[in-house]
Amino acid sequence: MSGTVFRPREEGKTRGLTGKHSLTYTSRMVAVSHYEADVFGAISHPARRQMLDLLADADHSVNAIAGHFKMSRPAVSQHLRVLRDAGLATERRFGRERRYHFVPGRLGPVREWIAQYERFWDERLQRLAKLLSKGNKG
Amino acid sequence: MTNTIRRQILIPQPREKVWQALTDRATLAEWMYPNDFEPRVGHHFTFQVPPKPEVGFEGLVVQCEVLECEPPSRLAFSWSVGGPVVNTRVSYRLEPDGMGTRLLFEHSGFDLSQPYGEQAFQGAGYGWAKMHEQLAAVVQGMAAESD
Repeated sequence: MSGTVFRPREEGKTRGLTGKHSLTYTSRMVAVSHYEADVFGAISHPARRQMLDLLADADHSVNAIAGHFKMSRPAVSQHLRVLRDAGLATERRFGRERRYHFVPGRLGPVREWIAQYERFWDERLQRLAKLLSKGNKG
Repeated sequence: MTNTIRRQILIPQPREKVWQALTDRATLAEWMYPNDFEPRVGHHFTFQVPPKPEVGFEGLVVQCEVLECEPPSRLAFSWSVGGPVVNTRVSYRLEPDGMGTRLLFEHSGFDLSQPYGEQAFQGAGYGWAKMHEQLAAVVQGMAAESD
């Protein structure tokens, strides 16, 4: 699957990550879905990453989340909204209370990005091991 | 949310040999990229990642600075490309293991909070989005190389 994730050559092809397949074209005609953009944008703020950490433990109400931050409640709501828009959190009703729920599957693009770097190093370290096993340059 | 890559490999060669492969400019170029590395803390150097036109990759320069250099056991340098990959840290620890060497590799510090990370996704075409295409192209280029 690693080979199917980012293919600069396949412009315009949707990737089936979610139902949202809007694509944008950079100057080099590489397709970047807005959906992925939303996810990376959403986790680019430290407060939002902290919120995700909280939600990863358990569902929380806005008030419970706000209790962990110094910022105003509207500011907290604003951040939660960004997480919701990126699909990283959903709102669920519990009686009169609404609680936020973490959707870890939506972090897929981030994991895939790191996985690309992992692949890069795996190949380089393999080259190193191979080079040393040949015993040349020794 | 992991932002550290860790790998361990066993190499059936003494640490001195492995250290040389990590720190000798010419040898380093063989398994990494052309570079002007020097094994000296504070030395600034670059890796020149060559373009791969067949996968639409224009090439890039990785800016580095040697942070730790303790032959034959410890080497660390910074690794900056742009976007979320600024001042990340690449480190190698070499531990004796029988007749060979256990190489502990770490790449850490991918900064998801890079200030221009957000702008990157508003059409600036840098940061994560650019990293995506660059890295994908480099990896593809490597795959093509080994075919």
